[in-house]
Amino acid sequence: MNKELKRMIRVFTVVCILFVGLIVYLSCFQVFTAPAIKSNSYNKRLWIDEENILRGMIIDRNGKILVYSEKTEESSTRHYNYGSLYGHIIGYSYREYGKAGLEASYNNELLNLKENTTLNELKKIIEPNSEGNTLKLTIDHGIQEKANSLLKGKKGSIVVMNPKTGDIYAMVSQPNFNPSTLREDWKTIVEDPDSPFLNRATNGLYAPGSTFKVITAVASLESSNIDRNYKCTGSTKIDGYILKDYGGKAHGNLNLEEALVKSCNSYFANMGLQVGKEKMGEVSEKFMLNKSVPFDLPVSKSISPYRENIGKTDIAAASIGQGKVLVTPLNMAMVASAIANGGDMVKPILVKEIISPDGHVIKTNYTENISHVTDSFTANEVKNMMVEVVKRGTGKGARIKNVKVAGKTGTAENASGKAHAWFIGFAPADNPKVAISVVLENEGSTGGKSAAPIARDLMLEVLNKILE
Amino acid sequence: MNKKLISYRVPRNLLVLVDLMAIFLLFIHNAENPDKFTLITGVSLVFIIYISNFILLKISSGDHYIFLIVTMLITLGIIMIYRIDPNLGAKQVVWVSAGIVAFFITYVIVKKIKDWDKWLKFYVIASMILFIFTLIFGQRIGGAKNWIKIGRFSFQPSEIIKLLFIFFVASYYTNQKKYNLDKKGGYKLFLVVYGFIGFLFLQKDLGAAAVFYLIFLSIQYVYEEDRKLILYNVFLAFVGALASYFIFDHVKIRIETWIDPWKYIDNKGYQITQSLFAIASGGFFGTGVGLGHPDFIPAVHTDFIFSAICEEMGIFAGIAVMMLFLILVYRGFKIAFSQENLFFRIVAFGISAMFGFQAFIIFGGVIKMIPLTGITLPFISYGGSSMIASFIALGILQVASEELDTEGEEENEQRA
Repeated sequence: MNKELKRMIRVFTVVCILFVGLIVYLSCFQVFTAPAIKSNSYNKRLWIDEENILRGMIIDRNGKILVYSEKTEESSTRHYNYGSLYGHIIGYSYREYGKAGLEASYNNELLNLKENTTLNELKKIIEPNSEGNTLKLTIDHGIQEKANSLLKGKKGSIVVMNPKTGDIYAMVSQPNFNPSTLREDWKTIVEDPDSPFLNRATNGLYAPGSTFKVITAVASLESSNIDRNYKCTGSTKIDGYILKDYGGKAHGNLNLEEALVKSCNSYFANMGLQVGKEKMGEVSEKFMLNKSVPFDLPVSKSISPYRENIGKTDIAAASIGQGKVLVTPLNMAMVASAIANGGDMVKPILVKEIISPDGHVIKTNYTENISHVTDSFTANEVKNMMVEVVKRGTGKGARIKNVKVAGKTGTAENASGKAHAWFIGFAPADNPKVAISVVLENEGSTGGKSAAPIARDLMLEVLNKILE
Repeated sequence: MNKKLISYRVPRNLLVLVDLMAIFLLFIHNAENPDKFTLITGVSLVFIIYISNFILLKISSGDHYIFLIVTMLITLGIIMIYRIDPNLGAKQVVWVSAGIVAFFITYVIVKKIKDWDKWLKFYVIASMILFIFTLIFGQRIGGAKNWIKIGRFSFQPSEIIKLLFIFFVASYYTNQKKYNLDKKGGYKLFLVVYGFIGFLFLQKDLGAAAVFYLIFLSIQYVYEEDRKLILYNVFLAFVGALASYFIFDHVKIRIETWIDPWKYIDNKGYQITQSLFAIASGGFFGTGVGLGHPDFIPAVHTDFIFSAICEEMGIFAGIAVMMLFLILVYRGFKIAFSQENLFFRIVAFGISAMFGFQAFIIFGGVIKMIPLTGITLPFISYGGSSMIASFIALGILQVASEELDTEGEEENEQRA
């Protein structure tokens, strides 16, 4: 009997262990795995609300309707009024392909979904909400259209923003896609080597080329004991590697301003080495490289290699925006904005307001400083140099009559083929109202020749249109 | 007496309170078209549960908790099934009534007859006939060929065989000395037990096969005198399981969808992933009864009822259900400890093990802790055979919880 009892207790112990195992497993599942599982697009629960609630509208800053949903029998149809023009910004929402763009990041707001608590569920039964909220963007439809037409037929991206408030006026990425014909185009898009789904403005990583010299210039001005005079012979030798100037041209005796105006590679390569890895890393990170940019859409991190264990050649190359440094066009527009705004970098804003179906503003995204890149004195100095770049240097293509424009061009060599043409800038220099970054992928000509005129046309458009 | 009728200290009154609240919830959930149907179903459920607990208290001197625990499980099950499909819920109330009747009948019969342990051959032959019947006339419902259809009714013979099996093993070990005179009794037992498991394999009823095996292993572990047989048993099962993985496709599928169901989300992994979605959506406190979508899971009212409970009542309710089963097993083991009669000791132990392992296998399956095998969750899943068989088992347990006259026991000892 005694032995029997002991054995029975052992069996019971095993059963207990099994049940405790179940409870632990279930709790762990709920805490760690469940959140990821819930959002799997095979979870039909995600789409139930979709069928019952009319997805909200998306309008531009002036109230122009960009997307709306219409109730038809049984289901609802989503109308993308401008097709591919807003493909990357608005994205899409399809059962079979999932969600992208603002449709993904503002899904809960567009469907007016609240946190899934029992109380909210009960509320839903008492007063079922049948309509989602409206998103009011900072985009100006006219500017967006103009930017798109200027980029037509090219590959690349344009970001136009207000340097003081962070409002994004236009954000274009080419090639793009049309969300309303996604079912028909899906296969072509997925197989296209130019990846139309890639939002180049936020997720395209490019060598910044000479536009990066703005950052190097700030780092240089912030450092003491630096010799800012240099004699350019058309090339410079670093660790046995010869770094050439554009066209092998010798620029002669240069100070910082002249070097920026002429975009002298040897000067800035040596400047980067003089300033040193530490300082270059610190300053570039203040400009949000290596950092996640808070934004309404997912943004890739720009890469600054200075924190890595890199040699002299790489430091020199990075200081002129070549080699291991990579940036997103949005980040470069923010760099231009920070200089324009006296050293304060503001958070880029794409969704200005969320408006409830009965017309109340539920949420407003206000201007926010996200980084103090440099003091206003240094920012002002660099700004003046950038004004000179447009007045008499490589950025002449961006000149506007009666308006003081500041800018910097870039021609970035890269592994994928022909050089990228860059321009970043802002206007009017004394009271900046618009900042811009333009990149033309594998354009093959200089930033001054091809990117600067596009920037000029757009800045002019903004200055004529927006009178705030 | 009057005081007792409304006191919260009386467990059955607490149960009634839970029932009333749940029915109220179901009622307001259907607020737009209030129906008499829900009301009738609910009231009859409360009535049945209350009355049967009351009767039991009067006639049985044994354990009164196991029936209470079971009525709690029943309540949860019916609420969930009713919420998924009111028609099934109403039918389940009928099944529960039938089950309770079966419980009382079993209670009376098992108590009356004294020499249960002498019918070993009958248990084996009856089981074999049922097995062969299933193989020949079996209907395939949900992957396993383990249903027999008679007229309008279909039932699952393996539910009854499970009880015959426990009786069979118990009879063997009660008279172990007699059957093992030639030292080969243990091996003969092996042969028969593996025969049972083999039949279940042929029917593709892997869950039941596992339950049978675990019941056998537990009883064997406690009562087998030849200890090396236990090692043989474990080894054999291990080899058998490994071999069946390579031989049988349906075993392989279970393992594959257990390791990574997401890869097969469109086909063979569909059920388990839907179950995980449901549990994940419920969180800790659930969406609330009637507010989730457990109906997305195929076979939610039978095998996957636990996922539905987790979705709408939260994993806290899920854990509570697990704990209820653990308490049921605990009470069952306690009954076994204190029973004087050897045969009923083994039977009580076997039935408790059956409840425990069967619940564990289906809990573990639907939460993907172990490979999924389709078996019912006793007392909660929808279904007549499972409900009636479980209640019969409970009736036997109820008998075992009482002090039986030791006549049979003495006889045994005289013979030994």
